[in-house]
Amino acid sequence: MLIGIDVGGTCTDAVLLDGGAVCATAKVETQDDLLISLGDALDNLLKGIPSHKIERVVFSTTLVTNLIAEKKYDPVGVVIMPGPGRTFSDLRDQDDVFCLNGAIDYRGREIIPLQPSQMEEVLAWLEAKGYNKVAVIGKFSTRNNSHEVKVADFINKHHPDWQVEMGHRAGGKLNFPRRIANTVLTCATRQKYRYFTKAVRDAMARRNITATVFILKADGGTLPLSASEEVPVETIFSGPAASTLGVQALTPPGETSLVVDIGGTTTDLALVLSGNPLLASKGAKIGERYTQVRALAVHSVPVGGDSVVERVGKEFIIYSERMGPAYCLGGPMPTPTDALRVMGISQIGDEDRAHEAMTILGAPLGMGVREVAQAIVNLVIDMVVVEIERMYMEWEQEPAYRVWEVIQKCKVRPQNVVGVGGGAAGFVPQIAARLGCTPILPPHAPVANAIGAAVARPTLQVNLMADTERQIYIVEEEGYQGQLAGKLDELSAVELTKSWLLKRAEKMNLRSYVDEIEIINQDVFNVVRDWQTTGRLFHISVQTPRGILAHIGTGGRFLP
Amino acid sequence: MSKKTGVIFFPAFDWAISPTHPEREERLLYTRDQMFEEGILDLPEIQQYAPRMASKHDIARVHFCVPNVEEQVLDAHRIAAGAAIDLGDRVMAGEIANGFALVRPPGHHAMRVVHGNRGFCNINNEAVLVEYLRKTYGVKKIAIVDTDVHHGDGTQDIFYHDPDVLFISFHQDGRTIYPGTGFTYELGGPGAYASTINIPLPPGVTDSGLHYVMDHLILPILKDFQPDFVVNSAGQDNHFTDPLGRMKITAQGYARLTEKLKPNLAVLEGGYAIETALPYVNLAILLALAGKDYTSVVEPEYNPAKFKESPKVTSEIGRVVEELQEIWAKRHQFDKYTLAKGTGFYQRTKPIFYDTHYIEEKQIEKVRVCDQCSGFISLDSQAYHPNGKHYRICAISIPFQSCKSCQAEAWESYEQAKGDPHFDYIYLQDKSTDTFMIYQRLGNREIRSDG
Ligand SMILES: [Zn+2]
Ligand SMILES: [Zn+2]
Repeated sequence: MLIGIDVGGTCTDAVLLDGGAVCATAKVETQDDLLISLGDALDNLLKGIPSHKIERVVFSTTLVTNLIAEKKYDPVGVVIMPGPGRTFSDLRDQDDVFCLNGAIDYRGREIIPLQPSQMEEVLAWLEAKGYNKVAVIGKFSTRNNSHEVKVADFINKHHPDWQVEMGHRAGGKLNFPRRIANTVLTCATRQKYRYFTKAVRDAMARRNITATVFILKADGGTLPLSASEEVPVETIFSGPAASTLGVQALTPPGETSLVVDIGGTTTDLALVLSGNPLLASKGAKIGERYTQVRALAVHSVPVGGDSVVERVGKEFIIYSERMGPAYCLGGPMPTPTDALRVMGISQIGDEDRAHEAMTILGAPLGMGVREVAQAIVNLVIDMVVVEIERMYMEWEQEPAYRVWEVIQKCKVRPQNVVGVGGGAAGFVPQIAARLGCTPILPPHAPVANAIGAAVARPTLQVNLMADTERQIYIVEEEGYQGQLAGKLDELSAVELTKSWLLKRAEKMNLRSYVDEIEIINQDVFNVVRDWQTTGRLFHISVQTPRGILAHIGTGGRFLP
Repeated sequence: MSKKTGVIFFPAFDWAISPTHPEREERLLYTRDQMFEEGILDLPEIQQYAPRMASKHDIARVHFCVPNVEEQVLDAHRIAAGAAIDLGDRVMAGEIANGFALVRPPGHHAMRVVHGNRGFCNINNEAVLVEYLRKTYGVKKIAIVDTDVHHGDGTQDIFYHDPDVLFISFHQDGRTIYPGTGFTYELGGPGAYASTINIPLPPGVTDSGLHYVMDHLILPILKDFQPDFVVNSAGQDNHFTDPLGRMKITAQGYARLTEKLKPNLAVLEGGYAIETALPYVNLAILLALAGKDYTSVVEPEYNPAKFKESPKVTSEIGRVVEELQEIWAKRHQFDKYTLAKGTGFYQRTKPIFYDTHYIEEKQIEKVRVCDQCSGFISLDSQAYHPNGKHYRICAISIPFQSCKSCQAEAWESYEQAKGDPHFDYIYLQDKSTDTFMIYQRLGNREIRSDG
């Protein structure tokens, strides 16, 4: 049996799945102490179920997201080696940054050596500023991490108790500014995240649950709890991933669906393309900064059931903030929830108060209550539909770097609009009608996010770059740099990459999840000097297939 | 925030002429690595877009592909040209302030008639863009500034008789480098005198020499011409590490040039120092377009001590600039009939060599000297293709703003050529109505395409 738990801002949702069936669900209020909510949710689920029957537990947590949002972490000293290129003056405004000389180029060659005299300077700077958490990041460090290692070792030699994080370990892809963000955030949150993982282990042990515990990532994959301690930042924004995977589990396999999650003040939109959730082309964004965290493409519209509605002149305006509950639930201002109540689409709250709310808005214009309610519902739908169109346009504008990618790119439009969340029943049928799609309100929609967590698969990726001219290769995820043993052709390069994936799976105790390895990128470039091919560059990426472990039920109720 | 710089990055990682050819898959690989690592596409000042394909009609509006567009143009070419068009649309819509089509394959050696690949080019990306902009938005005056080390002979050929397109090319002197053209006396046809400006420069020009040319010649000419749209044919083989050119320009030199030129659109052309130049030059140009600080983009090989320009080079630059300043100042003193030696038709014979496919084309170009417009053009071109087939074609081009009588006469010529058994194919390109005709003698077939 699988357990999925989604710790959201207001509610903690949990489900217990057995095969494709939902055995139990629980919904508790999220407490300040996350572990109390976790414990409550688990105890609610497990009534009468022996703990040894649980094979797997997956959490989605907002812990790190909140730590970052609320800046509840220790300051981090940032040491960068930017080399030639952008000046990064904008970056220096955001962080307290020390720049070191020394540079690596795109093929991992040292082009400017580190300046030993600067090591003492950087140490003095860190000490003077009182940092004991340090992030060390070099440009192209994923292609050659020797500078980072040297600087980190030097700092650690003088301060073994300091926490020093290196860029090539915190983010393996090319993108120096995003790697800086990842490293700083990893450095800032790891300690607090460890308290959390320890407490989770305690909670499991106290209930005799011996199943493997996973954490959901923003890209909809899972990580074993222990592995997640290395990369706590990967756990940010896993909430939207949870509900998207939930929808994927609750709709028929292989379909193209738009996921509309209507909450109190925001509506989240996501896309499932032929059964696979769409990934954001850029990494998850924190504030105005991109990270290297791979995330599903989720668009937020600032409107929900509790958004405040006001009349300005002859128009109604929906504000993104919440002033309390809907008027029909005793709140101070009219909301879309009141409009739904008047339209008879929802049964929430007091009908008379809902009418009163519409009257407040409509009376000065001589409009009837139903007329006002319809206008408000239309406004909400307009806002959502505009954003959906924008999302598609953005998706169509995603770059392509190969001829075949441009040729195969065609306009895709969804078959289904799938609604989850509080306001879904009220708005989704009309949004679907506007888009010419089938509306689906799946069963268990209120706990779709917990279902998403429960069925999420562990995902493993390995990116390898080999350079036969220099006889070296690197594995981004592992921060590994090694020598090639003899000749390498395209086939053996792929095999080498796959072997690293298996090694990684073994290390994380995930070997049983790897029965198939997908090649997601396979580029070979000739290195030519004076019209002679002197070597080859291989860029190979492999992964375990994305997807979910199970589909639930028959795939949703189709509305008339 | 002010408007963004649009970028279409299309490295065509799955297309090459041949495995060790300088124009190959690897060409933009290190540019990609440098751009991605700098996080430049995350900058709020820069917006990346997906490429799209130019239509066959977009290409036929410019080129006479022999025997047809399908035979000469691959998907990769259509995407490169399509990227330029897409960014052009966005500039015209006011969505972006300027743009950079960082694409391959390049295009500035592709001429009006296309029998094959010339200098790594099949179709001319800038010309396809320019004709598209004129047809779609009625843009009147366009300037193309070609900053490649090689003479932009294809672009020159296409706009040689067009007074509304100012073509300025600086390049390494044609006596020392492919394609061997681009001298100061190539100034455009009689109806478009001095709308072609060639600035041949001696090998060894440094940033200071280049900026002398910019400040004293190119910028003043542009100021006089007052273009509505400026395209930079942005070749980067003037770089001091380029294996094909012998110039000494740096990334900083290119960036400052971009800053001064303020092109609406830059389209990548050559540049074959794929490791030592392109990652840095492309980055610097992109930063300059976006108004960002580019001063730290310095090539690892750069050593300021080695970058003194020889006095001989400097004085030669001064001489060329002076010569062209004078030509430009006196450009209005010539009348088109005098330039055409008093005849109603201006005619020139052009031997054209296609270095990639070893094709030798013989071409006779005739332009009507007209009071009302720039005059229609007719071409008689023949060549053996690599498949052994011989093609002789007649091609007629009616300018964008042609007069009624030129238009009528051109259509009449087309009908007449259809009766001439010497020609295997007869083409008509009516830019004034955006119509394209092909007549194939074999099987007596005629195809019409409207925009
Ligand atoms: Zn060139
Ligand atoms: Zn005329």
